[in-house]
Amino acid sequence: MPLALVLALREMRGGLRGFYVFLACIALGTGTIAAVNSLAFGLTDGIRAEGQAILGGDAAFSLIHRQASAEERAFLEARGAVSTVATLRAMARTLDGERQSLVELKGIDGAYPLYGAASLRSGEALQAVLAPAPEGEPVPAVVEPSFLETTGLAVGDDFALGRVEARVAGVIAREPDRLSGGIAFGPRVMVPIGALERAGLVGVGSLVRWRYRLAGRDGPLPDDALKALVREAGEAFPSAGWRIETRTEAAPGLERSIDRFAQFLTLVGLTSLAVGGVGVANAVRAYLARKRQTIATLRALGAPGRLVFATYFVQIVLLAAIGIAVGLVLGALAPPLAAAFLADLLPVSGLMRVFPGALALAALYGLLTAVAFAIWPLASAYAVRPSALFRDEGPAPKSPIRWRFVAATGGAIALLAALAVAAAYDRWLAAIYVGAAAAVFLTLRVVALLIVAGARALPRSGSTVVRLAIANIHRRGALTPTVTLSLGLSLTLLVTLSLVDGNLRRTLLSRLPAEAPSFFFLDIQDSERDAFAAALTALAPTAELRTQPMLRGRIVAINGTRSEDWPDTEASWVLRGDRGITYDQALPANSEVVTGAWWPPEGPAGNELSFASDLAGELGVGVGDVVRINVLGREVEATISNLRTVEWETLSINFVMIFSPNVFAGAPHAHLATLTFPGGAGEEQELALLREVSAEFPTVTAIRVKEALETVNGVVQDLVTAIRAAAALTLIASVLVLAGTLAASHRARIYDAVILKTLGARRRTLIGAYTLEYLILGGTAALFGVGAGVVAARFIAVELMELEFVFLPLAALSAVALAVAIAVALGLVGTWRALGEQPARVLRNL
Amino acid sequence: MADEAMIAVRDAWLTYGRGASAVSVLRGASLDVPAGQSLAVTGPSGSGKSTLLMVLGGLERPDRGAVSVAGENLVALSEDALTAFRGRSMGIVFQSFHLIPTMTALENVAVPLELAHAPAPRERALAELAAVGLADRADHYPAELSGGEQQRVAIARALAPRPAVLLADEPTGNLDEATGAEIADLMFASCRERGQTLVLVTHDMALAAQCARIVRVSEGRIAEFAVGEAAA
Ligand SMILES: Nc1ncnc2c1ncn2[C@@H]1O[C@H](COP(=O)(O)OP(=O)(O)OP(=O)(O)O)[C@@H](O)[C@H]1O
Ligand SMILES: [Mg+2]
Repeated sequence: MPLALVLALREMRGGLRGFYVFLACIALGTGTIAAVNSLAFGLTDGIRAEGQAILGGDAAFSLIHRQASAEERAFLEARGAVSTVATLRAMARTLDGERQSLVELKGIDGAYPLYGAASLRSGEALQAVLAPAPEGEPVPAVVEPSFLETTGLAVGDDFALGRVEARVAGVIAREPDRLSGGIAFGPRVMVPIGALERAGLVGVGSLVRWRYRLAGRDGPLPDDALKALVREAGEAFPSAGWRIETRTEAAPGLERSIDRFAQFLTLVGLTSLAVGGVGVANAVRAYLARKRQTIATLRALGAPGRLVFATYFVQIVLLAAIGIAVGLVLGALAPPLAAAFLADLLPVSGLMRVFPGALALAALYGLLTAVAFAIWPLASAYAVRPSALFRDEGPAPKSPIRWRFVAATGGAIALLAALAVAAAYDRWLAAIYVGAAAAVFLTLRVVALLIVAGARALPRSGSTVVRLAIANIHRRGALTPTVTLSLGLSLTLLVTLSLVDGNLRRTLLSRLPAEAPSFFFLDIQDSERDAFAAALTALAPTAELRTQPMLRGRIVAINGTRSEDWPDTEASWVLRGDRGITYDQALPANSEVVTGAWWPPEGPAGNELSFASDLAGELGVGVGDVVRINVLGREVEATISNLRTVEWETLSINFVMIFSPNVFAGAPHAHLATLTFPGGAGEEQELALLREVSAEFPTVTAIRVKEALETVNGVVQDLVTAIRAAAALTLIASVLVLAGTLAASHRARIYDAVILKTLGARRRTLIGAYTLEYLILGGTAALFGVGAGVVAARFIAVELMELEFVFLPLAALSAVALAVAIAVALGLVGTWRALGEQPARVLRNL
Repeated sequence: MADEAMIAVRDAWLTYGRGASAVSVLRGASLDVPAGQSLAVTGPSGSGKSTLLMVLGGLERPDRGAVSVAGENLVALSEDALTAFRGRSMGIVFQSFHLIPTMTALENVAVPLELAHAPAPRERALAELAAVGLADRADHYPAELSGGEQQRVAIARALAPRPAVLLADEPTGNLDEATGAEIADLMFASCRERGQTLVLVTHDMALAAQCARIVRVSEGRIAEFAVGEAAA
């Protein structure tokens, strides 16, 4: 065994005392990163593994507005088993007309599901329960439990769905392809696909999504067959306008969200590690201070500085290994634990195992952090001279800077930063994070130096209390740098988190603007538009009704470049799925043209469109660019003739693209309407209106804005809770470090305090001096924390969460004041108690 | 004579601090100690006895002057070379023992042997412990030993590498008279048996009188105190 290891093991016989904060910091940071990455890997694996079930087939072809043509169907059926599923939003009402619910309706055929298993709570077979009913009988429907809650119906009861009666025939226990839909605004209701037509829900231009799922007839289609299928479909039907997805990318949006969230949580983990690093440095420094005598003895007995350094370095690495091991255990336990909570939301089948890659990455982070933060204080082992054994030399004298250690520390930190950036989903964000963290550390260092220099430069005060406090701040071996760093970091984190949290809550709780509409109505057929308008004017004479033609279309190409090949930007989502589009003769009232010109009232000569200016900027398109779009299975081209402002947050009808009316002349389509009560409407008024409208126009889908917002807010609220829980980890780390720093300072000063007391200093004087010292340090750290916290919170809120940022002075300042008060109190209680006892007792126990 | 000296200090000057707070501790100190001699260093508190010992041990470099021990010019050696030389040729005993608290008595004694990569360090360490009468306490930690026992372990540790020179700074200062005498006997016996050169700093004139020669440090110089006193 190498000598350094032998000596290190002997030194560690003292146990882990003094290293609990060190261990906790490393374990917490490593554990967070291990857990986050394991979860991300596992969920992504799950999505991949369950890809066929989520997608509903080996491949899925989806169309909006229209069904596949006979040729298209034939093409698909020639290549495998096909299952057709149609999804749409529709209204369900109780037969007495008292209650209604927006539902996520899904029509299934006899082949559903091609993959995975759908099941009912009763245990009956889905297909048997949903066997198409004969004419005149109610349509069988299976529903999610929440549908029964909102409508008050039970299994066996009848309800109205569009123009037909339906009967609750069962309760859904498991729907294998549930994740392929977007955010659900209502409970799922499943009916036989033929019932949609009977219910009058598939009119011209209705927002029905038709999905044709394809599976190999004898076993899953092999990958190359899948590739060939996609290619052949493109060749055979170049302008079908269908979106083709394959099992390898069943839920790309979900995967992206998981990656993004994992990225955010990784930053949280890195923050705990960075804060923990300070704990590491403090622990190592304190440890070496305790070991000075031993080190000096080893040196006197002929141990070279290198060996001494190696001995303590090995100890730190061994301790870090213990912390890392604890962290990895926690990290490995996280996925199965999370599976229990997420089973209803996400494919968790991938979570029941250990993720060696994620654990290795976390271990590497932990080790690098320990090394990066330990080398510098360890270098002081070199400064310990054997002459310390002849007389107590007090704090080690300043040793010359050793460039080897500067280089080693720099190297470890650079590696850590490089790893953080390289392993990140969003490298740019990670780079910004690393830069910001470095800036915070450096600035706190400078702040500490300034405090010391300031204290030294102050004239001698006449007051003993002030003199003692000032001297404590700048004397050799003062705690100023460590306390400033720990306190500054904690306060920065605290301010950042409280401001982000405050802004999130403010956004969530912010009331709807008074002019926000009460309702969105979808799928108003062209033929019933006038009757609908007349009825609503009669029902709500004071309210303002606006209608707008509504089609869905997909951008196929811009200037001949296919959407898939367009450079990736923040606004790429515009190019991915299909978007609501409209046409209009006039510029919307709340918009302004910023570039180009709106078409003349008589209409332009060619096909033109207006693009939302902010998205155009992000996407990199402008006036003169030609957009090719697929609508209703037809491809049309139009030239961007102007960019206009859009106030997305007003919740009125907003479209990314508005076309000139000539583009869609004669195309069948439905309408979208909003109804706005001046000054808003009460719950009663809205529900009454909803009853009337859904009775009179059963196929029009009514979305109550307040309810929809609640649904969205519910999702956001869950996210906020997750963010808070994660953020709490960094706070725990910072509190640990701060407590460790204060405990160390407490130990260091009790001795001073007791000696001073035996020399006649009164308890009040000493406590006064220490309070003043802490207040000066705490006040400066608080100033810094508020400043840095505001900058960080602003960045997170505006750049990452796309929220409006408001400085909430009360939240920030009260958090800081409380933290400083607690820190000072904690720092003083122990000293106060020690001063209350007989000096001799304390001295003997030191 | 100078050629045969185990220790030779020539005109050593050493000043601590700078400017107004400077303390000039050694001011032209010179000393020759022949191999195998036992030398007592006395002098008032603060006169520079410990400083002189540190200079002899290569723990402190004089600002000016020459120091050679066992033929090595300490002033010219690099820090690492000095460390290695100390481990090989010098044993040091301190007033407050300075055993390593996390190591057993045996391990404490074995450390310098391990550091020098000597063969069979544990066996040799055990022999040294036996020589100071502590073979049965080998597995005890310093905290479990009395002050006198700790100092015996420290002496065993200093002697284990068979150094040419033994430096001791008030080794009995923290012990009662009887224990102190035992410790002193141990050191003198070892030096006699192994022909070691001993430099012993002490306030205790009775102890000093047991040495072959006594010098006195004062005003930064070294003067013979009682030349020719009969050795014990
Ligand atoms: N690092 C230092 N800076 C300034 N002066 C120092 C330093 N170390 C020692 N001194 C001074 O050098 C002088 C000699 O100290 P030394 O320890 O050698 O005395 P000593 O003779 O061993 O005293 P004692 O018998 O009390 O142990 C003392 O006056 C001491 O104050
Ligand atoms: Mg002394």
